[in-house]
Amino acid sequence: MDYLCFRAFCCKGPPSPRTEYDVVCVGLTGSGKSSLLTQLCSESTDSIIPTTGFSIKAVPFQNAILNVKELGGADNIRKYWSRYYQGSQGVIFVLDSASSEDDLETARNELHSALQHPQLCTLPFLILANHQDKPAARSLQEIKKYFELEPLARGQRWILQPCSVENMDAVREGFNQFISLLEEIDQEHIPSRI
Amino acid sequence: MQLKGLMDVECRRGKDSPRALPFPAQSCHILNMIGLIWHYLYSSLLRSWMKWILRKVTGRCELQRICTNTVQGTERTMKIEYSLESSKNEVLKTAVTVSEANVANRVHDIMEIKKISIQKDPKFKLNLQTCLLQISGFKKLFADVENLRKQPFDSSNKQHEDMLKKLWNLLMPHVQLESRITKQWGDIGFQGDDPKTDFRGMGMLGLHNLVFFGDHYTETARQTLSHSNHPKIGYSFAIVGINLTEMAYSMMKSGLLKTHFYNLVPGVPQLQHFHQVYCYLMYEFDQFWFKEAPSSIMEFNLYREQFHERMKQLLQDPKTVLKLNFK
Repeated sequence: MDYLCFRAFCCKGPPSPRTEYDVVCVGLTGSGKSSLLTQLCSESTDSIIPTTGFSIKAVPFQNAILNVKELGGADNIRKYWSRYYQGSQGVIFVLDSASSEDDLETARNELHSALQHPQLCTLPFLILANHQDKPAARSLQEIKKYFELEPLARGQRWILQPCSVENMDAVREGFNQFISLLEEIDQEHIPSRI
Repeated sequence: MQLKGLMDVECRRGKDSPRALPFPAQSCHILNMIGLIWHYLYSSLLRSWMKWILRKVTGRCELQRICTNTVQGTERTMKIEYSLESSKNEVLKTAVTVSEANVANRVHDIMEIKKISIQKDPKFKLNLQTCLLQISGFKKLFADVENLRKQPFDSSNKQHEDMLKKLWNLLMPHVQLESRITKQWGDIGFQGDDPKTDFRGMGMLGLHNLVFFGDHYTETARQTLSHSNHPKIGYSFAIVGINLTEMAYSMMKSGLLKTHFYNLVPGVPQLQHFHQVYCYLMYEFDQFWFKEAPSSIMEFNLYREQFHERMKQLLQDPKTVLKLNFK
């Protein structure tokens, strides 16, 4: 606000707008979607509660704004996920690296469904292997292998980023790479518009 | 006088929209700045001069004038609170956080400082005492609510585990829990097979709220649970409950709930009063949800926000008391 007032007083116009991208954020309940998005917006994660339904957050980055549609991860809500894929330009998938074997298997099934879904299969994926700060967290290599990313997601653009809410730098690094992917795709589409 | 409302409402941008602002919104920021400068001038200079003049003319200080011109309730208590907090005198300023045991002494001290004669204004002492009990009582209650919220659910704590079992027995009296970790928890609206993962930022406050509802208004709680199991537009009872705990908590934190507490309790508010606000929200939200008939649970946040806005509007009316419309 102070910056805008300064610009107002110095008779400069509004700052040039950043590109916006619409992305969808999914993952099992408790994987950390709300916590990560809230922290990226520099808000307090003190009173976070389970997300019911979906919620929309505009997350600012240096050269882009991501309009993130975060979908709740509870069993009874996951069946609605595909209704909200329309119009997405990218996908963020959050998983709990330290979850039980059963939950990890469920996460794998959900990720595979998303990767193969007709509305998402051409989009870039940012896969956040969250909860890396927990002792039971599986490593980057283990996750890559378990989720069969290399064979399954061949030909698709994806980024696998290990992270935790304790290390937001790693999170931002993953997002910056993701934004570069989104920008690349945007550039690719420009000639076809003419 | 609180300089609120018009300018804030017009210029409020949700924190979710950091787009570059168009030019009219920039002039809105300038207006906001002018408003702040005026507010500063008023509160530091003009207010003192006006108070001095009024004291000379009416023979009574601001606290006395407030008590005379208002009835017992939110309007009076809020004005007294603002007057004390804006005071340059430390004894008055810190009166808003004085403990219950020290309220009488503090009232006595204030009357001495302001040279208020008990003969000329016999009701003043009791009126100010009531207001102070309400004001400092609300702050103390919020501190207690916050402590409960910060307590995470702990499976190794027998009291916590007993409360969880009690919640099941209250809501599902004819069904036995097969084990502590079971999909049955979904029948009362928890997300997974272990409720402890659902409380999150609301901690034990969420569980205390749910148990109070089930314990004190058992019929209504069970009816609300059965509504929540509607095949098409059902919702998760416990999860929505935790959501409403967050709503009640944030309304208390922002001070919005003062309207209700100051009107309802002519003294120190207790934790049960907070629980009753929660029960009100549970019942009213259930009514609201089915009246609005959303297409599915996916629209929850939209309707939650509309409900929240209604609550905010209600609580901005100084005469509001949230009444439980059920037994």
